[in-house]
Amino acid sequence: MGLIAREVEAAGIPTVVISLAKEITESVGVPRSLFVKWPLGHPLGEAMMPTQQRTLIFDALVHLQTASEPGIVAEPGYRWRRHVYAEPDWAQLQQIDG
Amino acid sequence: MDNDRESISLFQRLQNRLYAIPAVAQWWAGRFARSTRHSSPTDPVPFSRLAKPLAESSVAIITTGGVHLQGQPPFDMRDPDGDASLRTIPGDVPASELMITHDYYNHTSADRDMNVIFPLDHFRDLAQRGIVGSLAPRHFGLMGHIEGAHLVRLQEETAPKIAATLRADGVDIAFLTPA
Repeated sequence: MGLIAREVEAAGIPTVVISLAKEITESVGVPRSLFVKWPLGHPLGEAMMPTQQRTLIFDALVHLQTASEPGIVAEPGYRWRRHVYAEPDWAQLQQIDG
Repeated sequence: MDNDRESISLFQRLQNRLYAIPAVAQWWAGRFARSTRHSSPTDPVPFSRLAKPLAESSVAIITTGGVHLQGQPPFDMRDPDGDASLRTIPGDVPASELMITHDYYNHTSADRDMNVIFPLDHFRDLAQRGIVGSLAPRHFGLMGHIEGAHLVRLQEETAPKIAATLRADGVDIAFLTPA
């Protein structure tokens, strides 16, 4: 997946990758990634947990807009099934643009 | 033998269960990263900045979790080196028309809720709310267990094809999810 991100990024399109395997992501060299130490098969979290899923999307979009250099692996540190999620403040994303 | 889920061996199922434990997955990731079974490019990591406001940007989703349309051919599970082919998924399909073919991870959660791995519904909603500009017309499903000669095909054929399609569609952001 990291190789695809590199190819797309090299074509001029910014990418953000959700990573479940930090050492592979670091080894491949991915432009922007968000690592969560969660079970494989759950990049956005649990089934039927839309707030959790949207939180990951929100964090990824923040990282997409704010990462200042290639290769940064952001780590929000959410613990699997131990974190209580609140709806992200989507207006924040528009402020980053400003 | 069929490619259906019944063909997954008990051993593979057991392995998938083990890798569903985060600590085991990270141990595997470390071993895999240090092995020669994957590609570690030595050239600099590419970097492109978002050229326009998020609210005007078109977003495409790419997953290596084996997602495809029910009517498309499934990924090849018989080749131990995987399958480097590509499935194009239109942005307007309902999640109910998608399915997963990928024996190397436990996808029961994504089978129940495709947004766990392929968040078309969420991005469609974000586009409707004006948080992102739009959902791209074409998204991509691949199968992530790719090694050997297929890794070359992925790098030289499949990945460039994805990049060219995204450019042709005027996509501004690619969001990628693994298995």
